[in-house]
Amino acid sequence: MNQAAEHVRPEGSRGSGPRLALALATRLFEDRVAVSSLSITLEPGRIHALVGENGAGKSTALKMLAGVLAPSSGGVLVDGEPLAPHAQAALDRKIGLVYQHFMLVDVFTALDNIMLGAEPVRRGRLDRATARARAGAIATEAGLEVRLDSSVSELSVGEKQRLEIVRVLFRGARAVLLDEPTAVLAPLEVAELYGTLRRLAAGGATIVVVTHRLDEVVRFADEVTVMRRGSKVHHESLSEDSRSGEEASVLLERLTRAVMGDEPMHTLTPRPLALVAAPLLELVGLSVDNAGSVDNAGGVDNAGGVDGASGAADGSDPSTRKQASTPKRRPAIVDVSLAVAAGEIVGVAGIEGNGQTELVRALAGLVPLAAGMVRVNGDVLFTPELAETTAVRVTRARARGLVTVHEDRHAEELVLDATVRDNLVLGELAQLADEGATQARRLSRFAIEPANPAFLARQLSGGNQQKLVVARALDRGATVLVLAQPTRGVDIGTARVIHQAITDAAASGAAVLIVSADLNELRTLAHRIVVLRQGSIVGELPPSATDEELGRAMLGSRKLPNSELANSATPKSDVRLGNSP
Amino acid sequence: MSSLFSVAMLAETLRISAPYACAAVGGVWAERAGIVQIGLEGVLLSGAFAAVAVAVASGSMALGLAAGVALGVGVSMLHATLVEKTRIDAVVSGIALNLLAFSATRLALRALYDSASNSPSIAGFRFGPTGTSGTDMLLRTLLDPVTVIAVLAIAASPFVFAETRFGLRVRAVGENPTAARAAGINVSRTRLAALAVSGAMTALGGVHLAFDQHRFESGMSGGRGFIALAAVVLSGWRPARAAVLCLAFGWLEAVQLRLQDVSRGSSLATLTQLLPYVATLLVLALGLGRRAAPAGLGRHAE
Repeated sequence: MNQAAEHVRPEGSRGSGPRLALALATRLFEDRVAVSSLSITLEPGRIHALVGENGAGKSTALKMLAGVLAPSSGGVLVDGEPLAPHAQAALDRKIGLVYQHFMLVDVFTALDNIMLGAEPVRRGRLDRATARARAGAIATEAGLEVRLDSSVSELSVGEKQRLEIVRVLFRGARAVLLDEPTAVLAPLEVAELYGTLRRLAAGGATIVVVTHRLDEVVRFADEVTVMRRGSKVHHESLSEDSRSGEEASVLLERLTRAVMGDEPMHTLTPRPLALVAAPLLELVGLSVDNAGSVDNAGGVDNAGGVDGASGAADGSDPSTRKQASTPKRRPAIVDVSLAVAAGEIVGVAGIEGNGQTELVRALAGLVPLAAGMVRVNGDVLFTPELAETTAVRVTRARARGLVTVHEDRHAEELVLDATVRDNLVLGELAQLADEGATQARRLSRFAIEPANPAFLARQLSGGNQQKLVVARALDRGATVLVLAQPTRGVDIGTARVIHQAITDAAASGAAVLIVSADLNELRTLAHRIVVLRQGSIVGELPPSATDEELGRAMLGSRKLPNSELANSATPKSDVRLGNSP
Repeated sequence: MSSLFSVAMLAETLRISAPYACAAVGGVWAERAGIVQIGLEGVLLSGAFAAVAVAVASGSMALGLAAGVALGVGVSMLHATLVEKTRIDAVVSGIALNLLAFSATRLALRALYDSASNSPSIAGFRFGPTGTSGTDMLLRTLLDPVTVIAVLAIAASPFVFAETRFGLRVRAVGENPTAARAAGINVSRTRLAALAVSGAMTALGGVHLAFDQHRFESGMSGGRGFIALAAVVLSGWRPARAAVLCLAFGWLEAVQLRLQDVSRGSSLATLTQLLPYVATLLVLALGLGRRAAPAGLGRHAE
């Protein structure tokens, strides 16, 4: 218990980071090979990117480097010496891991989270003054702004990530390993994060980033290792010259090919022109209260069987339980009017937490409208006057062919402890004449791996869980598709298949509304992009709009310094990815 | 009416609420660490029995006190081990603990003292004046070693939770065991340690109960563990509030006893016995001070 005294040493933030290596490392999960005889060496002072599709083994490789997973055979070497396979051993060797799903205690302050596990103690008491001084110094040096005295539940996603990085540095880490750090960040925050990582690398630290966004690799990484099916298939060092212009696109092309392997390169069929047709989906002066926001503090598990697809049967909204703890209520959606025609794809851009979640939940019928109206095909679907239960609203929305994909797949889409088989027809259980055939079709359409319907949804990787959710939604012959982050966490190949399926659905006459944090995705798919800020539509742009144009609309006219971005963008009752594992 | 707020009533309230408060703070310790503990009743009973058995055998009340606390720690850690190591459902383990404590103490009563209902009487601690005035009663209560230890332990709990490394780690494993483990904390060991504290705290209440009655009676915990559990929830898992709630409950019970004296013989006497329980139900139903449980309650690190 006395090791904390050692952790307090300030010199932990100096000196060169360790050289990390995997030597013929193999990792099996039951009989599945996640990583196979992988050998890589990661030198200090550089930003290493580890890329590959879902299930390529990149996260597994990272976790072995962090001592969180033990290799089944082969070894992990830190400066040439083997690493014992547990998290504490890695921490002792100055290796820190930033998990994809943040490992934070939501009710603690940022400071308490930082010192947890390495608490400085003075005369039997926690020495918060020392911890604060050290954390503050580390944060300033690395350019990471974190409000140390705020409780984690009040922090934005970007701030939580900065907190995680400060924490591993506080533990003396000189190698910082990050698992999909940018999956939850807005574009500006991504640049900011890499700015921090660059500073750390310049100070001698070893930086390893797992990502599936190749554009990031081209812009920010020094070295890239491409993995496919558990093996290293490509490695190269990047120079400053290759970050822009012609060289950058050549590099991107090369990396894409390496990631995809022999798989054929899909090209999206040209999107059909928007028809001049009567709108299929109409939102008229829509307002929604904040009560329905998903507060997933502490990773509320849906093991209790909250069936997001078919609605909470008792009509009580599961998310309202947390109302008492979020007293600051403000309308989440204010007077939104929007029409989507048959065959049209409308994108919704905005910084996370500006009403996207509530919009999608309202359209699914999960939360009541405060004002306004939703019409499908000219007929009223929801209006506040009806004062119906959640179950009634959800059932009618489904009956009218409105299909939703929510952003939080753990909370809204999957019963994690039920089988893949049951999850594939969740909401339609025992209603389909050809249930078996339906399940097989949905399973194969997006190549869900492992393709074993008897597995529990929990056992699938995040990307495959997403495939399952999307396969179910796109297979239902929707009239209106409302999709939130449809490709979050899935690899390039699958993302293309999903994009194609969305385009096909629109081509066959569905009205599609897509909420996405990925501006490229919106540009690729949408006929027009509306921008949501603080619950209102503040602009409409063509898909040809640049990042800067969209970013300006998302942020508003005020010019904000980058560090303020996260705070101002995300309201208190913030919306996060579920952090249940 | 003034007799409801007299010095004698204060002494009576303290005496009655001590076991509740100990059990409630014990419950807070278990549940803040993330382990559902509905076995407080069983821990109370085990502590009471061990204290009496050792006190009878040795004649030393201090040894009895130590034995009671020790058995409480043991039983509580057994619960934690079953939940953490063998992943038995905590509710099942807690029920088993209650049933086991109830029947094992009965069996032991029969085996040791050949009685179905109670042990031989013991002296208990005797300090302070022996008079019957309110001040004498209060002095006796305040000088009782078990009460003094209990008050000190209860008073220290909020500080330990908020200001010590152990407290921070206990709260961390109770809120998010996965995150705690990622921070290098041994979740099981921390939970076991917290349940040891919980067991000691709760058993202290059992010892108080037995010494106060000067003997062990079968099933003498009489549902106090469950009332304490209600206080745990109502307090929002905060030790000081839980103790204060138990004081309030103790006062209501003291009032009830006083009313029974007044209304002796009438059917009102039976009704007044309901008073503390009806009050508890009302407060629970109104959900006063409702607050979220520790987020990791009943969850394991993944």
